[in-house]
Amino acid sequence: MKITALLVLKCDSRSDGSDPVILANATDVSHFGYFQRVTVKQFIVFVGRTVAKRTPPDQRHSVQHEEYKVHSYNRNGLCVVGFMDDHYPVRSAFSVLNKVMDEYQKCFGDSWRTIQADSTQPWPYLNDALTKFQDPGEADKLLKIQRELDETKIILHKTIDSVLERGEKLDSLVEKSSDLSAASQMFYKQAKKTNQCCTIL
Amino acid sequence: MNLKFVQGSSYRDRTQEFISITERLRKSLPSLNGSSKPDGSRSKVAFQTEFNKRASKIGYGIHQTSLKLAKLAKLAKRTSVFDDPMVEIQELTAVIKQDITALNAAVVDLQLVCNAQKENESVSTDTTTHSTTVVDNLKNRLMGATKEFKEVLTMRTENLKVHENRRQLFSANTSKDSSNPFARQRPLANKSTSKASASPPPWVNNSSNSSPLFPRKQADGESQPLLQQQQSQQQQQMVPLQDSYMQSRAEALHNVESTIHELGGIFTQLATMVSQQGELAIRIDENMEDTLANVEGAQGQLMRYLNSISSNRWLMIKIFFVLIVFLMIFLFFVA
Repeated sequence: MKITALLVLKCDSRSDGSDPVILANATDVSHFGYFQRVTVKQFIVFVGRTVAKRTPPDQRHSVQHEEYKVHSYNRNGLCVVGFMDDHYPVRSAFSVLNKVMDEYQKCFGDSWRTIQADSTQPWPYLNDALTKFQDPGEADKLLKIQRELDETKIILHKTIDSVLERGEKLDSLVEKSSDLSAASQMFYKQAKKTNQCCTIL
Repeated sequence: MNLKFVQGSSYRDRTQEFISITERLRKSLPSLNGSSKPDGSRSKVAFQTEFNKRASKIGYGIHQTSLKLAKLAKLAKRTSVFDDPMVEIQELTAVIKQDITALNAAVVDLQLVCNAQKENESVSTDTTTHSTTVVDNLKNRLMGATKEFKEVLTMRTENLKVHENRRQLFSANTSKDSSNPFARQRPLANKSTSKASASPPPWVNNSSNSSPLFPRKQADGESQPLLQQQQSQQQQQMVPLQDSYMQSRAEALHNVESTIHELGGIFTQLATMVSQQGELAIRIDENMEDTLANVEGAQGQLMRYLNSISSNRWLMIKIFFVLIVFLMIFLFFVA
């Protein structure tokens, strides 16, 4: 379950086919060979642009491309695109995109609207987000809560099992203690009997 | 005599006969009929018969509707999970609703007629009270029927909810049993895709289209084939995700809520068990105290015995003497 890339683009809703402009880019190509990294980056840029161009405003899209899923979310011309693998849950993917979008708008306000060329400055938040959100639980609180609840449920099941064992042991203890009490009573009676009967001697 | 079906109720309309008879009578007895008074009385009578006819029609309609309502209630009660006569129930509900609205309108009409009758003519108070009573009675019966209808609808929605829960329980059980609860995303995705009707075909299409590509994919040297394939075969399918996204969120929330609920139940069970076992512990404690008391008493007895034995030396010597004497006598007699 990993995120390979996160891109922020400005896409015009004009249908004249102008390509979206990249505003921020963060990629994790460490699992490719050294010589393919540049090509992979270019490929990611190209696919990201295409998908962003085809995403209508205020909509979320997911595209399956070979073994990657490309999720894109377009809001008012600002488009965030994420490249995730198949196992990454879709909902978490979109919550990641939402977060990145909100953060970008908080940081840069509306200044992105005037940018015409691809900006190559790295945005540290995006890189941090890429590493942080490799685990979908981080992005999606619901998923995290669900996971924790499942763990808790397992722990509780184990607890109940051990409580049942404890119950069995207590049962056996009850039996043994009642046997012991009966035996001690017999013992007492016996001792009294021996004491009473041999006074003559 | 003709049978008419009006608003689902059938009645035999014999007014034509009645009118013909009155015509005949009028023709045969022209002398008895005056000008205004018979008109007035006829119109009164006509009013009354009109009123009675309408009232009887409405009453019959209410009766039919309540019969249909009883049938609907039986249908709604007997629904099982798999054999749901949904279409029938909906049809019946629609028909009953129509009936009830029509009957409502008819009752309102009748009431207007009754009021007009009261205001217009100098009829006897008995007639007016009778007509008002009839109208009230009809209104009450209609209200009863509407209330029953509402109850049946609520019962039906409850049943549907129960079925939904049971279905979810079964589907949740199978998915929980089959997969590791830590890897919960997969069953969640499966459930959400099974429930969202639009998504299964695109997902299936995606998987079937991407699978022929998989054998060609190698772990290394990915980017070159990627570029080539991307240029040659653009296998991109747009999946409309907007509402299924919301649906999956809603479903996740439901799951969280139900999980928390289950956890609450588990905690309650745990508390019950622990309290029961607490009682066991108390019993054990009592038993041990009894044992302690008994053993202490026995120990006291034995101490006394020991004391009596050890202090009774003088008596013991005497006893031994007697024994030895007996032994001697015994030996003497044998030898």
